[in-house]
Parts: sequence; structure tokens; C-alpha cells
Amino acid sequence: MTELLEMREKIKLIYGRLEFFILPLAKFLLAFIVLLTLNSRLGYMGQIDNIALVLIAALMCSFLPTGCIVAFGAAFSVLHMYALSLEAALVGLCVYLVMFLLFFRFSPKDSLVVVLTPLLFYLHLPYVVPIAVGLLCGPASMVSVGCGVIVHYLLNAVADHSAALNMMEDEDAIQKIRLLIDSLVKNREMVVVTAAFVITVLVVYLIRRLSVDHAWTIAMVAGAMINIMVLLIGDLIYDINISVLSTLLGSLVAVAVAKVIEFFRFCVDYNRSEKVQFEDDEYYYYVKAVPKMTVAMSTKTVKKINVRHARGAAQGRGTETGRQRAGAQSRRAGADRRVTTERTVSGRGRYGGRRDAAYGDRRAGRSVTIGSASQDDAFEDIFEDPDDQDLI
Amino acid sequence: MLNEERVILMTHMASYESGEGKQNVKIGNYFRGDYIAVSVLKSVISATVAFLLIFALYLFYNFEDFMQDLYKIDLVTYGKNVLICYGITVAGYGILTYIVSTCRYAKARRSLRLYYQNLKKLNSMYSQQ
Repeated sequence: MTELLEMREKIKLIYGRLEFFILPLAKFLLAFIVLLTLNSRLGYMGQIDNIALVLIAALMCSFLPTGCIVAFGAAFSVLHMYALSLEAALVGLCVYLVMFLLFFRFSPKDSLVVVLTPLLFYLHLPYVVPIAVGLLCGPASMVSVGCGVIVHYLLNAVADHSAALNMMEDEDAIQKIRLLIDSLVKNREMVVVTAAFVITVLVVYLIRRLSVDHAWTIAMVAGAMINIMVLLIGDLIYDINISVLSTLLGSLVAVAVAKVIEFFRFCVDYNRSEKVQFEDDEYYYYVKAVPKMTVAMSTKTVKKINVRHARGAAQGRGTETGRQRAGAQSRRAGADRRVTTERTVSGRGRYGGRRDAAYGDRRAGRSVTIGSASQDDAFEDIFEDPDDQDLI
Repeated sequence: MLNEERVILMTHMASYESGEGKQNVKIGNYFRGDYIAVSVLKSVISATVAFLLIFALYLFYNFEDFMQDLYKIDLVTYGKNVLICYGITVAGYGILTYIVSTCRYAKARRSLRLYYQNLKKLNSMYSQQ
């Protein structure tokens, strides 16, 4: 566990340092995958089913706000539908506009969920969505999840009926619209899956907010179970042929992904939780404090110190000329020593609160490792030199 | 000389201003009634457009039946029914918007109150110096 926590801290550190590059790169990758998936799923318009165009669009998404990925995804899918038939594009555009007008106004930040849901459906990992959203977002996000499910089934309906839409004549415009609307409105599977996902988001959110130990784990397991239960009940009522095995496996994968999310987002040590009670003039307070699991990160700084410099410093201690002379001599001699100081960030909590010897040492300050080609007395002078005191 | 506490406070405030605070400051610029009225008005317009889109799709869907029965149905009653549906949609959406925007305004004010307290604290730190 300690190694995992160290790794997490390293990842956080790297992300903190390189956020400026990682965020656009992540947006680029997401947009690229989403657009590529749309092209492979629909791909009726040859002009936009082009890797160069996808790359350009993904590059634009990388520096534009996140909502633009949704806009590009919607535009690509409507264009593909238009290439298939004008009526399909009309229905698709109406669905997107209604979603935009009625739902995204309340939770614009979650619009990414609308893109991720069809993508994860395509990757056969749909059950990750409600559990992850329940853990990371608020209850309003269930609207976004529902919209994502509808978008997935809209794309499915277009793809499934593409042959029929192609065969119909231009005069059958009304029939085409009826076909697409029927495949959406009368799709029992869509209704059941939407209901299951919405209920799961709500259940996961409510449980993870409870003040009980392991609330996140309970929430994700309960969410997975509720999801399976609603899907199976829906299957029994509407006979929608949901595969029990794939649902169970998908839910297991979803719980595993949720555990990874928990590790990065809500990693606490319940063994060290404290319950305190105090009061002021107006209230009694019952407080439960659960410490986060953290480890002190070690950072290494390698400092090369010249032998001659050290000797010179020892000889001419306190005089600038002595140091300069020593430096010049050392360059000539070419022999050097290496002092490695290992530092730790102090003042942070540790995993489990155990006074592990190794960590205790690291936390206490810095351990000094010294490597040298030859041992000589001048070396000790380094530590005695007041200018180098910070090495110890 | 640097005052560590002041720097920490300023960092927190700058972080708030650039993140969550940006939206809250925007909300805080309105009076409560104005903010809710503007939100509800936007919702009414959105709901109207959405209703028109859905109604257009509905008409397309039932176009043949509608054209066949055009002379049989009472258009005034039909229009009344459509208007009632429109009213229910807009009213429902408006009430939902009213509730959401009331909660959002209250939350933003609470958050801004804390922000202004910190601002006062910062000001007093400067005056003490």
C-alpha cells in the first residue's frame, strides 16, 4: 500500500508540474478517440471520415474549453446523419438541441459525461459511468448520464436503420422520421438502461455522502447491485434480452474502476478516524475526522562538491580568495566527490500512523549519502564549513 | 518582509477567484430577485424553443394522420390543448429553474460572504503592517 501511495504522490507531483501540458494532451486524446469512434460507428460522410480532419478537430479541442468536445461530437454525428439522410440529421439535431436547451443549462460542467457515456458503451464498459459519476459528481449529473444514454441509443438507431433509410425514397421523408422516432421512443431497452443509470447515480451519491466508514466502497458496491437489479427487473418486465453474464462482468469492472477512482480521490485511513465532541455558546458539535492516507515524498538533490574546493575552503575558510583559489586548483586536479542529499517534505501525515523506521528517518529530515573516489581528511571540512552547514 | 499568513490567504483567495468564485461573483452582482427573474426568463425562452422543436417532430411524426383528420378535428380545441401542454411545460420548467436558481443564489452568497470576510481580514493585515 505504501508503494501505491508513493506512486500516487509521484503522479500528483508530475501532474502538478506538467498540468499545463497534460490537460490539453488529455483533451486532445479524448476528442481524438471520440471523433474516431464516431467515424467508425457512423462514417457516412466521407469528407469528415478523414484522419487529418479528426486530428485538426482534436487539436482545436485541446486548447478550447471542454464543452467544445461535446459540440464537435454533436456536429460530427449530425453531419454523418445528414450524409445518410436529411431526416436523420433533423431528428439528431432536434434531440441535441432539446438536450442543450433543457438540461445542459443546469449542469454545463457535466457535459463531458454525455460524450463519455456513448464512448464507454462502445467500449463495452457502460456500467462504469453511473458509479463513477455518482462518486465524483453531484445528483444533477444524473441528467447528463441520462442524456448520454439517449445519445448512445440515437447513434445506435441511426446505425441500425442505415440500410432501411438508404433504401427509402426521398418521398418517404415522413416514414424516415417515424422510423427514427419510433426506434428512440419505443426503445424499452433505452428506458430501462436510463432508469437504471439514473437510480444508480442517485444511490451512489447518497451513500457516499453518508458519515459511515468505507462509505465510498459501500456506495460503489450498492450502486453496482442496484444497477444489476433494475436492469434485471426491466428485463423481466419488458423482455429486452439483457445478458446477465455481461452485466455481472461489466459491474465487476465498474467496481474495479471505481476503486481506482477512490484511491486517487478519497483515500482515507478509517483506522485512525477520531470522533470528537465539543461545544460553544450556541451549539454542540459531534465531529468525525478521518485522516487521509499520505506518505512523505522523497526528493533527491545531487550536489557535486570538488575535493580541491573543499580543501581550499578549509585552508582559506572565511576568505573569498581562498575559495576561489581552491576552485581553480580543483579544476586542474579533476578529482571530485559527490554528496547526495536526500530530502523529505516534512510536516505531512503518514500512512497508518506507524512509526516505521525507514519512514521515520526520512520524515525526520534528510539522510546524506556520500560517494567518493578516495577518503581524505579534507572531506570532513565540508561539514565543518559554515557555508555548507545546510547539507547535514 | 513577507507575511506568510497574508500570502497564504491571498493564494486561497486568488484560487477561489479564478475557479468557483468566478461564477459566484457573477451571481453576487445581481440582487436575488433579479438573478432569479433572469434565470426564469432564460428558461422560459429555452423551454419555448424546445417545445416548438418537440411539437414540430410530433407533427412530422403524425403528419399523415393530421392531414387526414384536418377537417374533422376542432382546430380551436386542438390549439387549446397544445397551448395547455405548452403552458404546463414552461411552468414546470420555470418552477424547476426557480428552485435551482434560488439554491444557487443562496449558495453563492454564502460562499461570497466568506470571501468578503477574508478580504476584510487581508485589509486589516495590511493596516496593521
